[in-house]
Amino acid sequence: MTAAPLSGTAAPRPRGAWLKSPALLLVPAVLFLAAIYVMPLIDLGRVSVAADPWWSHIARVFSVPLYWESLLRTMKIALTVACLCALFGYPTALLIQRSRGSVQAMIATAVILPYFIAILIRTYAWMVLLGRNGPINKTAIWLGIYDEPLALLFNRGSVLMGMTAVLMPLMVLSIYSSLSRLDQNLIRAALASGAGPLAVFWRVLLPLTLPGIGAGFLLVFVSALGFFITPTLLGGPGDQMFAMHITQQADSITGEGFLQALAVVLLVITLVVVGIAGRLMGFEFIWGGGKLSEVAETPAKSKRAAAGPTRRSARMLVADMAGWPILRLLGRMPADTGKWTVRILGGFVLCTLILPILVVIVISFSKASYLTFPPPGWSLQWYEKFFSDSNWMSAFWNSLGIAALSSVMAVALGATAAIGIVRSEIRYKSAVMLLLVSPMIVPPVVLGLSLYSLFLHLNLVGTYFGLAAAHAIGGIPIVIVIVAASLQAVDRQLEQSAAVHGASVLTVFRTVTLPAIAPGLAAAVFFAFLHSFDELVLSLFLSSPRMKTLPLMLWADINYQLNPVLAVVSTLEVVLVVGGIFLARPVFGRSRAAH
Amino acid sequence: MIQTQTLRDPRGEVAPSGRAGRGQDIIGARISMREVTKKYGAFVAADRISLDVEPGEFITLLGPSGSGKTTLLNLLAGFQRIDGGEVLIDGKSITHVPTHRRGFGMVFQSYALFPNMTVAQNVAFPMRMAGLDRAASDRRVAETLEMMRLSEHAAKTPSEMSGGQQQRVAIARAIVMRPRVVLMDEPLSALDRRLRESIQIELRELHQTIGSTILFVTHDQSEALTMSDRIAVLDKGHIIQVDRPLEIYRHPKSRFVAGFVGESNLIEAEVLERRGDIATLRSKAGHVFQAGSRNVPSIGKVTVLIRPERMALHDSPQPGTAPATVTSALFMGETLRIEAAMEGGETLLIRCPDTAARELPAPGSKIHVGWGAQDCWVLA
Repeated sequence: MTAAPLSGTAAPRPRGAWLKSPALLLVPAVLFLAAIYVMPLIDLGRVSVAADPWWSHIARVFSVPLYWESLLRTMKIALTVACLCALFGYPTALLIQRSRGSVQAMIATAVILPYFIAILIRTYAWMVLLGRNGPINKTAIWLGIYDEPLALLFNRGSVLMGMTAVLMPLMVLSIYSSLSRLDQNLIRAALASGAGPLAVFWRVLLPLTLPGIGAGFLLVFVSALGFFITPTLLGGPGDQMFAMHITQQADSITGEGFLQALAVVLLVITLVVVGIAGRLMGFEFIWGGGKLSEVAETPAKSKRAAAGPTRRSARMLVADMAGWPILRLLGRMPADTGKWTVRILGGFVLCTLILPILVVIVISFSKASYLTFPPPGWSLQWYEKFFSDSNWMSAFWNSLGIAALSSVMAVALGATAAIGIVRSEIRYKSAVMLLLVSPMIVPPVVLGLSLYSLFLHLNLVGTYFGLAAAHAIGGIPIVIVIVAASLQAVDRQLEQSAAVHGASVLTVFRTVTLPAIAPGLAAAVFFAFLHSFDELVLSLFLSSPRMKTLPLMLWADINYQLNPVLAVVSTLEVVLVVGGIFLARPVFGRSRAAH
Repeated sequence: MIQTQTLRDPRGEVAPSGRAGRGQDIIGARISMREVTKKYGAFVAADRISLDVEPGEFITLLGPSGSGKTTLLNLLAGFQRIDGGEVLIDGKSITHVPTHRRGFGMVFQSYALFPNMTVAQNVAFPMRMAGLDRAASDRRVAETLEMMRLSEHAAKTPSEMSGGQQQRVAIARAIVMRPRVVLMDEPLSALDRRLRESIQIELRELHQTIGSTILFVTHDQSEALTMSDRIAVLDKGHIIQVDRPLEIYRHPKSRFVAGFVGESNLIEAEVLERRGDIATLRSKAGHVFQAGSRNVPSIGKVTVLIRPERMALHDSPQPGTAPATVTSALFMGETLRIEAAMEGGETLLIRCPDTAARELPAPGSKIHVGWGAQDCWVLA
């Protein structure tokens, strides 16, 4: 790629000009995903219908009560969790938006921090918190609410609680991003027009942030559909979720085909939900807000405008009929009620996000050899045990190596693809983008199962490269979203002015573009690394007994014995994430300022 | 300020304009600010500001950014809590009245139209909030849309309209309740010049028609001069001067006001002699001239303001003129803008109408500048 000679502009396109098209940058990532992500899923579908008659496996999923009851249960749990997240997430997002300065930064960190800590670790923290000798039982007994420790774990309540807490940051961030994009003067205009705080909420805030709530709701619902870790650890026998059947069946090698049929059913349901949602509100919700959406937005917008006035008036009518009498009643309450509702609910959510992590950190310094809170004494014995145990250490180094390799792969492929997406002018751009980010919504259990047969075939099971590549499937979308967002923030006139003043394409990229997206790239590296470092479900399918990663060791230990070594690992992870967020601060600051 | 032209109100009656001669009932409230203070940490945004606004008056808060004008508006609207002093509306304190019970109308620079509602729903919003019945509300909304020439756009959403139209919707929403007080926060700043001027005239007429007290915030001095009954010039959290636009322009109280409102020549001079309202002054460069100004001290140094358009340009020396050398000359359309250096170093800015008799003087050419005693204003 060198600068074209000046005379070349008027002449017919020189041969090989297409080699300079930014669209080519999409090719490596698309090929990679096609080979290691799309093909295995297609193969999965093929195996699931390779029977006589072809639907017999799928019919069995829907005829055996064990499975379809579990499917219904899964839907019910996912829906409940999404509703709970919306109900508690909204006040929390409002709390962030309404606070200022360092308080705001602290609250935002309290939400973002758990978001980046492994689900496995946060679930473990809830096991500690809700355990027989955990802080909640201890506190309740100390307060005299009840005398004997209650069995708070392994029931539907603990599943819902745990899943809601784990998925809450997704909802809060989604609602907050739509809140922060609101013109604050709209709220002032409503107040000046005589609307009380409740009316402002009902008529202005809620309708305008509905897209954010919708996006959050769907992300939570879809993630919950494929959830595996949290229900396995927090649920009882009556709380089997659908994804758990897939792993259990995978262990007990039933007939080839039925297992795949289970996975296909879960995948299809997920895709249908996402598809319907995407038709209704645009697919941008997958990658968080309309930041990349210039291309995709136009058709969606015109559609919405066409549906325009009638639908709007109908909605207004519903809002009037249903909400008004209630609001009138609520309006009689003291003026500060709304403010305090937000503070109390938001504060409660922040506690559920942060307390488990704090408890785990405290436990890691415990003297006791079992989980009890508060610890009877302090010691560093569990840290000693972790660092001297060769199993833990080799798992740690494995994870580190795989995550490093995986993040290199994800950033190399993802960053080039992001440039291709933002800078090229190809048709079906939104479809390509959708393909590139779709790994975010495919249930990991399904992905793991589909990769297993491919990896067996290629002898990649239990190899560094295999695991790193598998983790990169999920890392690429993360990288693309972050890098594309920072690329779009680059002022194109800067690049043009550099080019006008004689810089070649590569020089422009090196001197203008790269420095501008460098913080984004750094963040992308970190999050791709973290994604791989935390990955458990794919690893469950793709590792061998000889090569274990840290999450796999944790998983085995949690199921076998709950000891404070796990708390040590969790604490180290928290330190890693806090360090990463601290380093990535400039990026967050910039993206927030851009709003 | 009594204007001579007449304005037609929507009902077709010809009513004399200007506050004094208006036939319309004045529904506006009297606003009294008493030592209003607002602090952000150590920064004092409004420092014991006192201001009385007459019922039905159009008053403009004019000042550079950070002068406290928007702070004052926000305190009035109730968006921010007042730190000291109080605001009275028709004699009643509004310190403890929340924004939504104050019953004001407000227009924002960013329009702040609700994107989820149509134009008609936006305008009806205050009436719905007041709980008025639908029939009466619909009638008033239609009437207001008509008044703002928006009737045909009633079913549109804000995003389907141009900036000027959106701002007219915002104005309609602010006046639909015929509020006693309408607050306007730089409502025209986001519009281009032509549109701004036409909406300025529209706002003036609207003010005559509805008779609300209007508090208008702007940093644009020409907008303030055109629209206001009175202007309050603010700087660093203080009100520097409150007066009619003509007074502000002709008789500014301070260097700041003289510099902020209009263009100005400020000449340092020494009082030689004073007889009644006529004083003889000598500039630093030694030019002796007369100034007819009510507030000249009988002795000492003063600063004299002469507006550029009051300067007269001559090709040959006349009685009372001073020689100068042209340093730059620009053709601006209806006027010529000439900068000239007087002997002794003072630079003068001169604006004179473009006439057939005068060519644009070349830089370096000699000219003679003069002004009458009545063209001088001595700053206190």
